[in-house]
Order: sequence, then structure tokens, then C-alpha cells
Amino acid sequence: METIRNYLETMFARLPNTFEVQKAKDELWQMMEDKYAELIEDKKTENEAVGIVISEFGNLDELADELGISSFVIQENRRTADGFRNVTLAEVKDYLHDKTRAAYAVALGVFLCIVSICGYLLNFGWSWRVRNVFAVSFMFLAVSAAVGLFLFSNYIMGRWKFLGERACSVDFATAEYVHSQREGFRVTRSMMVTIGVILCILSVLPVVIVNSLFGWSSGFGVLLMLVIIGIGVFLFVAAANVNAGFATILSLNARGTVGASFVPSQKQVTYKNERISQVMSVYWQTVTCIYLCWSFLTFDWHITWIVWVVAALVQQIIKAL
Amino acid sequence: MSSISSDIIRGYNDTMILYLLWDAPSYGYEISKQIKRLSEEKYVIKETTLYSAFTRLEKNGFVESFSEHVTVSGKRRTYYRITEQGRQYYREKCEEWTLTKEVVEKFVKEGV
Repeated sequence: METIRNYLETMFARLPNTFEVQKAKDELWQMMEDKYAELIEDKKTENEAVGIVISEFGNLDELADELGISSFVIQENRRTADGFRNVTLAEVKDYLHDKTRAAYAVALGVFLCIVSICGYLLNFGWSWRVRNVFAVSFMFLAVSAAVGLFLFSNYIMGRWKFLGERACSVDFATAEYVHSQREGFRVTRSMMVTIGVILCILSVLPVVIVNSLFGWSSGFGVLLMLVIIGIGVFLFVAAANVNAGFATILSLNARGTVGASFVPSQKQVTYKNERISQVMSVYWQTVTCIYLCWSFLTFDWHITWIVWVVAALVQQIIKAL
Repeated sequence: MSSISSDIIRGYNDTMILYLLWDAPSYGYEISKQIKRLSEEKYVIKETTLYSAFTRLEKNGFVESFSEHVTVSGKRRTYYRITEQGRQYYREKCEEWTLTKEVVEKFVKEGV
């Protein structure tokens, strides 16, 4: 039964998502379902039944006129000839695996960048010169390790570049798989984001505590603060990047086609204005940038998280434009 | 044993469907099953062909569709009912076929 559903959904995946197309799909599904049920009743095995149903399905080209998609079918055939790429389930699994590895590598890199200045804050009672050498070497080591991690993530994601460059699609079963994976990740993701936010807000505590105990001269409080912020940001970045992997796959099927609505709860923010939607494609990156700049320039980590709340509100307002 | 040419039979899918709807409304799978049975399994209509015929017949006003709950499974199913125009069209198609058969018959040699 799953096989038949997948077959039908895949046949319809690249058709425009219109009323006629949906109606045809529903009706064909009814017929296939009835036929399958009766074949099973006639003591056919599941495989036989699936085989018969699919072999007697026919050809969607026959429906082109009825569905008002004749021009579409011709265009689609040309596109297939141009190398329309179907991404298989195995490939998607590989992609998600790579994407997760890359996500953690990038997050770790960001963490190292944040803590790279920690060398300056340590005081072991060394002379000024020794401290300086230690701090600089620590920073260089941390930053080069971070760059290494960024390059590594770039390297493993390199083979997936085609996803953004070519017209690709996934079939129904694959979309279902990615959807269930994303649902499974949902709890983990909100935990990571919540803990990340709490860590950023609480990061000022060590400074306050250490300073009240040892006086303002100790850099140890700030060091702890940076490490805590680093862990918080690590969690944000990792969660966002893993999630971006699911979103990438689920948005492969062209908008407005049946395939794009495979996953019912697929939330896609859409902007009415084409110009706005282009500007908004870098919205969250910009917000992240503002957040980090403001936070590091003022060190007001206890309040800078308000950026996210404001940003979410602003996005809602822009959506309504 | 040769199989049926789909080009030839296509013009008569409508006739078969209207024949099967003559007495009572019916639905997709039931009709395809009856066609298979009455043709002694010599003609199996494809799902897409059947659906395409339904939409065409409906557009021309020869059948009407309505949706009904199936008591057993609780899902909805689309039923088709023949209209008066449909009956008229069926009679015309039958006459057309009788004529066609008469003409083609004259050119068919048995056991050549």
C-alpha cells in the first residue's frame, strides 16, 4: 500500500498544485485503493497486488488535457532531458549525515573563535612578556583550529553543492523520511536553543561572583563568561545548521507543485513582495551579526538577547506588508 | 492472439462507461472491473484512461458526479450517474458503431 501511495505521489510530484490536479490524484488513489483491496481479498500476495495496480495505472500524459497541463508536460519533458536530478533516499541520508557533521564542526569553530582571546585573561603570575607570548599563541592555535574546522565542513559539504545549483526533487517516501527525522530532532533542537539562551543570559553571573570575591582585577570571571557564551552559541549554531539541512531537502521540490506539499506541516515563510523576499533571505544572518557585534562591543549579554525577540516581531510585521 | 489497439478502442470507452451506468450510478473501480469482466479480460482499462473519460463525459454533461461515504471504511468515494443527454449520446454512439462495424466488416477476410 505504501509502495502504491509513493508511486502515485511521485508521478504527481512535479505537477502544479491546482484543484484539478488534486482532484485527479484523489480519484486515481480511490481506484487504486479499491483495486488493491480486492486483489488482496482474492488471495494475491502484497507484491503481486502492487505489481498489478501499478502496471494497470496508465500514463499521466493521457490526463494532460483534462488537467490543463499540456504545456506543462512538454516543458517538463524538456526539463527532464536537461538533467532534472532526482535525489534518492540513500543520498538524502548521506546528506543529512554530512550536514550534521558539518554543523557541529562549524559550531565548534565558532566556539573556538569566541574563546580564542581567553589567553589574555589568564593570570598565573607570569611576567608580562610570557603572558603575552602565551596569549598570542593560544589565540593563533584556537583561530587556526577554527579555520581548519570551517574548511573541513566546507570540504564535506562540497559534494552536495549541486543541490543548490541544479533543479532537484525528492520523492514522497524521502520527503516523509526527512519530515519524521525533523520531527524527531524538534525536541533536541528546542532544548539546545533554550539551554543556549539560558547560558547567554546567565553568562554575566561568573563575572559578578568572581569580581565580588576577588576584586575587579581578576580576568577569571570574564574568561568563564566567554566559555559559557561560547557553549551557548555552539548550541545555537549547531541546532540551526542541523535544522537547515532538513529545510534544504524539503524545499527541493519546486514551489507550487504537488511535490512541495508532500509534508503538510512544512512551514515556509513566504513574503508577498518579491523584492522583500530577496532582502529577507539574509535577514537572520544579519540579526545574528547584530546580536554578536552588540554583545561583544558592550558585553551586555544579559540584555542583548532581546535582539531575537525584536527580530521575530519585525519579521512578522514585514510578512504582513 | 493479438491485443486490442488502444487507438481504436479509445473512441468507445465512453460507450462502455455509459452502458455500465445505464441502470444505476457506479464508481471508478467498479466500472473498470465490469469492463474487464464483460470483455472476458480481453480489455483492461487503465486508471488514467478511465479518469480522463470521466472528466470528459462530465464536462460534456453526459454524466454527473457525486461523492458518498462508503459505509464499511468510512472514506468518501466519487460516484457517477448518467444524465438524459448521456443516454442520448449513448444511442448515437451505438448507431455510429453499428454503421462502422457494417462498413469495416465488408473489408475483413476470415482466415487469410
